[in-house]
Amino acid sequence: MNLTLTVNGVEHSLDVPANTLLTDLLRTQLRLTGTHVGCDTSQCGACTVHLDGRSVKACTVLAAQAGGRTVTTIEGIGSPDDLHPMQAAFRDCHALQCGFCTPGMILRAIELVEDGGALDNRTVREGLEGNICRCTGYHNIVKAVLAASDTMQEQSQ
Amino acid sequence: MSAETGIGAAVKRREDLRFITGRGTYTDDLNVPGQTYGVFLRSPYARAKINAIDAADALQVDGALAVFTGQDAAVDGLGDLPCGWLVKSKDGSDMVSAPHPPLAVSQVNYVGEPYGLVVAESLAAAREAAELVAADFEELTPVVAAAEAAKASPIHEGLEANLAYDWELGDEAATDAALAAAAHVTRLDLTNNRLIPNAIEPRAALATFDPTSGEYELRTTSQNPHLERLVLSAFVQIAPEHKLRVVAPDVGGGFGSKIFVYAEETVVTWAAAKVGRPIKWTAERSESFLADAHARDHVTHAELGLDEAGRFTALKVRTTANLGAYLSLFGSSVPTFLYGTLLAGQYKTPNIHVQTHGVYTNTTPVDAYRGAGRPEATFVVERIVEAAARETGRDPAELRRLNMIEPGDFPYETPVALVYDTGNYQASLDRALQLVDYGGFKQRRAASEAEGKRRGIGFSCYIEACGLAPSQLAIQLGAGVGLYESGEIRINPTGSVTVFTGSHSHGQGHETTFAQVVSDKLGVPFDDVEVVHGDTGRVEFGLGTYGSRSLAVGGSALISAADKIIAKGTRIAAHMMQAEPDNVAFEEGAFISGNQRLTLQEVAFASYVPADYPPDLEPGLSEKAFYDPENFTYPAGAHIAEVEVDEATGVVQLVNFVAVDDFGHVINPMIVDGQVHGGLAQGAGQALLEHGIYDADGQLTTGSYMDYCMPRADDVPDFTVDTTVTPCTHNPLGAKGCGEAGAIGSPAAIINAVTDAVGTEDIAMPATPEQVWRKLHGL
Amino acid sequence: MSKRGEGVEQSGEHRIPAKRSAVWRSLNDPAVLARCIDGCQSLERLGEDAFTATVRAKVGPVRATFQVALKLTDMRPPESYVLHADVKGAGAGFGKGSAEVTLAETEDGTTLLRYSVAGRVGGKLAQIGSRLIDSTARKMADDFFSAFHQALDPAANRQQSANPP
Repeated sequence: MNLTLTVNGVEHSLDVPANTLLTDLLRTQLRLTGTHVGCDTSQCGACTVHLDGRSVKACTVLAAQAGGRTVTTIEGIGSPDDLHPMQAAFRDCHALQCGFCTPGMILRAIELVEDGGALDNRTVREGLEGNICRCTGYHNIVKAVLAASDTMQEQSQ
Repeated sequence: MSAETGIGAAVKRREDLRFITGRGTYTDDLNVPGQTYGVFLRSPYARAKINAIDAADALQVDGALAVFTGQDAAVDGLGDLPCGWLVKSKDGSDMVSAPHPPLAVSQVNYVGEPYGLVVAESLAAAREAAELVAADFEELTPVVAAAEAAKASPIHEGLEANLAYDWELGDEAATDAALAAAAHVTRLDLTNNRLIPNAIEPRAALATFDPTSGEYELRTTSQNPHLERLVLSAFVQIAPEHKLRVVAPDVGGGFGSKIFVYAEETVVTWAAAKVGRPIKWTAERSESFLADAHARDHVTHAELGLDEAGRFTALKVRTTANLGAYLSLFGSSVPTFLYGTLLAGQYKTPNIHVQTHGVYTNTTPVDAYRGAGRPEATFVVERIVEAAARETGRDPAELRRLNMIEPGDFPYETPVALVYDTGNYQASLDRALQLVDYGGFKQRRAASEAEGKRRGIGFSCYIEACGLAPSQLAIQLGAGVGLYESGEIRINPTGSVTVFTGSHSHGQGHETTFAQVVSDKLGVPFDDVEVVHGDTGRVEFGLGTYGSRSLAVGGSALISAADKIIAKGTRIAAHMMQAEPDNVAFEEGAFISGNQRLTLQEVAFASYVPADYPPDLEPGLSEKAFYDPENFTYPAGAHIAEVEVDEATGVVQLVNFVAVDDFGHVINPMIVDGQVHGGLAQGAGQALLEHGIYDADGQLTTGSYMDYCMPRADDVPDFTVDTTVTPCTHNPLGAKGCGEAGAIGSPAAIINAVTDAVGTEDIAMPATPEQVWRKLHGL
Repeated sequence: MSKRGEGVEQSGEHRIPAKRSAVWRSLNDPAVLARCIDGCQSLERLGEDAFTATVRAKVGPVRATFQVALKLTDMRPPESYVLHADVKGAGAGFGKGSAEVTLAETEDGTTLLRYSVAGRVGGKLAQIGSRLIDSTARKMADDFFSAFHQALDPAANRQQSANPP
């Protein structure tokens, strides 16, 4: 089937089998390999991307469902020269080790902050419940999200 | 060197930039021209005979290229997957090894065991074809429970029993005598629950073969690419080492599970030559659950004798260790040499005897996972010490302190074969008690009770032996390889530095830490040092990363290489400055003689452009070293857990965790703290959440994240971590290794806290709400 | 090791608006069975007491084509029999089970079908589907009997022939 969607600000028109998952479209067709696949039951969150600004687990979204919509992946939120505050905070707080869960974690964390609710240690932990990290014990991830939340709020003011 | 980037500085990791921007390169991110896709056929039975495999329909699928079976591999002479550590039974006989073909030939012995590989043009076609392979199995009765395995009929044809070995360590007669004479004996039956490692990146392999050169290249999720190459060459005999390059690119966590040489990468590499095309295989998580080596799974009876004063007089331990269906690469060593040797803990227990029965069952092979044997040992020691304190009415911290090896006792030889070089266990305990505010616990307990919750506190004063390992000792104990590490430092002509290490980073941050070490040692800017690892084509040799050995062994190899650089540079500089080498000093990146000074950069340039150069010296400034440690390193510490238990629901909340660890000198405290946090969460997972459960048919019923409970962000608290320092006495960095401590110490501390809260002698891990609720209600 | 997930056990009963002899006949009619089993791609009689079928089914996230071998034993027409099923789904794993089926005549001329199933699953079905297997089995049974009910209900039959699908 033919599909048009915007990924990281670039419009793509593609011909894909109807059963293509968004993860496959991103990783295989567009070679955006920053979106990772860590499980096959939509539990780990490594594949989290933004679909029209909301975080989704791309392993359970059909590419077709993203037709006409806007997808943002880890490659689209900042670059090495111009990091998103959440990316910078992850680095500053040592919130990643092997890096595999990191893209999904960052995208979910950005949404958590952008949702605008009051964040503290407990709410951040609850907000990240759908993303598994095996390396960090979450301690520094929580610190990073709270730090980035401050920066993002300052920037938006 | 610079205080911002040298040894001891919390340097931000240079590898992070690629990971936070999605530019990491993990194995599955790689694609090569002409690539095909592999899907493994896996046994749905715990034990069955393979009568026939019919691939005719599968090969009709559009895009299907080949179906390989164990028979095909056997005909090609593909060797068995070896176990690299020979353990001997107490009667002196070798352990009983069951042959472990990469693809099952006549019988499958655990659910998930691969018996075939389907190769196709696309992943979809490979999956479709795999569904059409008709395998005729004849189901056999499986042996699942470890405790009954020794008595059950053997699962492997040709073996007399399911007992792989009956191993012992220590003096049994003396231990029995001391127990008989003890004023008090505490007895405890313990289960160390089966865990499934679950690195978030599933294992993967991409193999290519060049028929013109006969060269294979395997890119795979490995913690030790050189060991992988060694095994694939020497044992499986796919290709000699010079025709096989193994690359471990960015690897998404390992925790031990990516040490081993598995069937999948072995078969995919072999098959790449058979189909004449590159083959890529990436595990689905469901496969990871079945096919990654599992961990722990001990059943133990322990007895601790105490005298009137509360001093430990003897410890006797009987353990049955489930090894799974086959001996994995290091599976035999985990419940023996990495377990029994640690049973002295931090204490002066004079008599210890341990016996381990390693048994085969129809379950996934069991091998090393973060801590590997040492968490099991710590669990036994720290649970029974806590129980003894409760039984004899002593404060658990004070009973520990009473029995601890004291700073003046080092080097201390334990009754179980180790010589601890240094430590100060009292210092860690004191600091931990202070950080947790032990004195305030009663008040906190009362506050919890006022909210309908029971509060408990638990201790774990662990020790571990890591920095694996003195080669001669390891080989004497049965290891099939040495356990040194290699390092190479190349000073490039203009003075920048390329470092090659046989260690491998899959989250530990070697690219940063090792650069700190070399930059500090050679006095060159941190940014001028690049670290290369994980590629047998670029790094000469290495034994990889496990057993918290990277810095203590791999880092020490770099210090040795740097010493050689300085020695050669000194001779060059002496020649250039017309001084005697003995009168040339190396300080902060420069060679100094009197008031003359030459930077390392200047000397390096002279070595590559040898105009004014010593006539008897080779050009170039590049040195390598193999470092073989003379002893293990012995990180130790005190972990204290506080939990709240909800009486109505049985839910345990880990509300406070203090870890004070002695890792010797720390290179990068930020990274060390991160390693501890991760280990603690895995330990909390073992204590409260995680459990690999097989049903009576040998079916894994916790085979996905829906049923295998991984620690999530809201399951763990912020951790309070701190360090004390007694430098390792025998390596040049004074470093001990920090990767596993968190997972080693924490399960016992948490279960001690839960049993304290609930008021029960024991509760099996994981302490799920249901279990806790039953204990609370006397059920 | 736990005793969890050791198998499927289920029983139920359905009132079918047809005479017992008709129900018995239909339960032995490949055409009727094929129509009533959701996802059935083929069903053939191999002999007096055996059938083979290909069924496409989904258990939670496990979706596969299963080869089903059915064998009937303890036949006491038209009262009862035992149905043994051996289900294989390549990568999806396997299922084995048997169902005791009894048919009782009722006063209003309908038939009360009682069944009790015991079985177990293996492979991916056990690994991922085990927590869903009971509800899936229940749903498959309900779907089967509701279709079977319709197949034997004279009123429904008339409607069906008037409005071919």
